[in-house]
Amino acid sequence: MSNLWLVARREIAIRARTRSFVVGLLVTAVMVAGVSFLPRLFGGPDSFTVGLVGSAALEPAVKTLAQDVTVTFRRFPDEAAARAAVTEGDVDAAVVDNRSLLADGEVQQSLGALLKSGHQVVQTEERLRAAGLDPAKVAEATRVPPLQEVSVSAASGDAGVRAGVATVVVLALFFLLMSSVMQVAMGVVEEKGSRIVELLLTSIRPWQLLGGKIVGLGVLGLVNLVVVIVAGLGSALAAGLVADLPPGMAGIVAGAVVWFLLGYAFFAAMAGSLGALVSRQEEVSSVLTPMMTLMMAAYFVAFFAVAQPTATLARVLSLIPPFSSMVMPVRMAATEVPLWEVALAAVLMVLAVVGVLLLGARIYRRAVLRTGARVGLGEVLRNG
Amino acid sequence: MLEAQGLRKRYGAKDALRDVSLSLRQGEMFGFVGANGAGKTTTMRIIMGVLEADEGEVRWQGRPLSFDDRRGFGYMPEERGLYQKMKVGEQIDYFGRLHGLTPAASAAATGELIERLGIAERRNDRVEALSLGNQQRVQLAVALVHRPTVLILDEPFSGLDPIAVDALAEVLAERRSAGVPVIFSSHQLELVERMCDSVGIISAGRMVAAGPVEEVRAREGRRTLKVVVRDAVPGWADGLPGTLTTEGDRQTLTVTEGDDQSVLGAAVRAGRVEHFGWEQPTLTEIFREAVA
Repeated sequence: MSNLWLVARREIAIRARTRSFVVGLLVTAVMVAGVSFLPRLFGGPDSFTVGLVGSAALEPAVKTLAQDVTVTFRRFPDEAAARAAVTEGDVDAAVVDNRSLLADGEVQQSLGALLKSGHQVVQTEERLRAAGLDPAKVAEATRVPPLQEVSVSAASGDAGVRAGVATVVVLALFFLLMSSVMQVAMGVVEEKGSRIVELLLTSIRPWQLLGGKIVGLGVLGLVNLVVVIVAGLGSALAAGLVADLPPGMAGIVAGAVVWFLLGYAFFAAMAGSLGALVSRQEEVSSVLTPMMTLMMAAYFVAFFAVAQPTATLARVLSLIPPFSSMVMPVRMAATEVPLWEVALAAVLMVLAVVGVLLLGARIYRRAVLRTGARVGLGEVLRNG
Repeated sequence: MLEAQGLRKRYGAKDALRDVSLSLRQGEMFGFVGANGAGKTTTMRIIMGVLEADEGEVRWQGRPLSFDDRRGFGYMPEERGLYQKMKVGEQIDYFGRLHGLTPAASAAATGELIERLGIAERRNDRVEALSLGNQQRVQLAVALVHRPTVLILDEPFSGLDPIAVDALAEVLAERRSAGVPVIFSSHQLELVERMCDSVGIISAGRMVAAGPVEEVRAREGRRTLKVVVRDAVPGWADGLPGTLTTEGDRQTLTVTEGDDQSVLGAAVRAGRVEHFGWEQPTLTEIFREAVA
C-alpha cells in the first residue's frame, strides 16, 4: 500500500507543478463563475425607469404590482419631452395621458406586462367611480391578491434553477472525467513506451503502479472538481443567486463528488488497462475509442436527463453502470430522486467499479510489458 | 548464491533460450557475452521476473526467487527507461523509495551516487535535458541506489566515455567486494576479461561456454604456438605446419598443432628467435570460434 501511495504522490507532485495544470484550474474556475453569472446576464434587468405625462394614477398601481423589479417614474411636461427621453434612452418607456405607451422599438416584455396591468387597474377603478360607485368600495374590489404559485410535482417551483445546476453538474463531471481519464491512459503509455515500466515492475506490483496512478490523478481531478464547486457557489453568492438555489444544495454537491469518484474509478481503470495495450502516444486515442463512445453516450443521456429527469430512459440509465455515474447526479440535481433509487444505483456502480478494477489490473499486468505492436485485448484475456 | 537452472523460452517457432544455466557465488562477477539476439537479455529478463521462462527456475540462496527477493536486486534493462520530465535527483530518490528505502536513507544514497557518477551538478535538471551518456549514468544510479543484493546489468558500459567506464567499474568492484553477485552483459570482451571472475558465452540460446575466465580460456578454443624469428632465412618454415606472417624483418609463425620442439629447432636454425611460447586464446578468439 505504501508503494501505491508513493506512485500516487509522484503523479500529484509531477503534474501539480506543470503550467498546464495550474492554467487549467484557473480557466475552469473562470468558466464556471461565468456560467453562474449567466442567468444574471440573460435574466434581463430588474429595475426600470418610466416616463409619465399627465395623470400620475399609474404610479401607485404599478408599484403595488411590481414584486421582483423596481420601477421609478419621472414626470415629463408633454409628449414631445417624453418621446425625446425614450429616444435618448433616459427612460425605458413612457406612458402618455393613460393613452399610449412609448418605447424605443418594443417595450421590454416584463415591463410592458406590468404597465399594461397597472393601466388596466387604474382605468377600471376610474370608470367604476365615474359610474357612481363608492370609491372606497371600488378600491377594495380591485385590490385582488395575486395568484399564488403552487407546484404539485416533485420538481417544485425552482425547475429552472435546478436545470441550471444540473447543467453545470453534467458539464463539470463530463469534462473532468474525460481529462482525468485521458491522463491515466497517457501516463500508462508513457511508462510503457519509455520502457521504464520494466524497471518499475521489478520493485513494485502492477496493481500498485496502476492503482497509484489512478489514485494520484483522481486526487488532482477531485481538486479540479472542488475548484468548480467553490467557483460555482462562490460566484452564485456574489451574484446574489444563493436564495434561488434549490433546497438540498449540499446534498447535490456531495452527490456530484461521490458520483465523480465512482465514475472516475470505473473509467480510469478501463483507460489504464486499454492504454497498456499500446506502446505509443499516437495510438492512445484509437485504443480508447470504445471507452470514449461509452462516455459520450452517458454524457448525452445525462444531458437529456437535465431536461427530462423523470423520463423512463433517464430513470433506467441512472441505475445502470457506468451511465449512472453521470445520469444519477444530474437527476439528483434536477429533481427529487427516491432514496432507494440512489442507493441501488450506488451499489450497482460500486460492484461495477470493483469488477472493472479487477479485470483492468489483469489486462494491465499481462499487456504492459509486451512492448512493440499493439496487444490484442482478446489475446490478453484468453491466455491463462 | 544465485542460480538459474535449465531456462527455456520459446517465442512462437523460435527457441530464444534452450537450457541455459548459470550460477554465481556471493561476490562473484559474471560477464555475459554473446552475439546480438543470442539470449543474454532474455536470460536477464527472466532472472528479473520481467519475463516468465517456459521451463527452468531461478533460485536465490537455495530457494526459488521471490518478488521480495527481486525487490532487493538492482536492474538495468536493455531498453533504458527513465521519466524524461523528472529531475535527476528526484528520480533516483523515487526509485530508492520504491525499493523500500526510508526517505532519509534514499536521500543520502542519492547524494552519494550522483557524486560518484559525476552528475552532481545536474541534480536539478530534467532527465530530457541530459546527454545520452549522462542519462546512462542516471540509469545506473537508479539501479544502484538501494544498495542491491544482486546486480543484473544489461550492457551497462555501452555509451559511456572512458571516465564513466572507470567510475562504473570502480563502483561494481566495490559492490562485488561487499559480497554482491554481479551479472553484466557486454560486447567489450577485454573489459569482461579484465573485470570478471567468470564468464558465460551464449550462442543461439545455448550456453556454449561458462566458468571462471581462466578455465574457459584454458578449456575452450585451442592454444596457439607463436614463434617470432628475426632475419630468418627465406623458406625456413616450408614444411612446417601453421601460418607465416612477415612484418619488416620479423616473421611470425602461428601453429595450432604439431611438435613444438621441431618448430623451435627449425626457427633457431633459420635466424634469431625473439619469442617462442604457447598462448591461451583471448576471450575474443574463443567468442569468435564459439559463435561461428
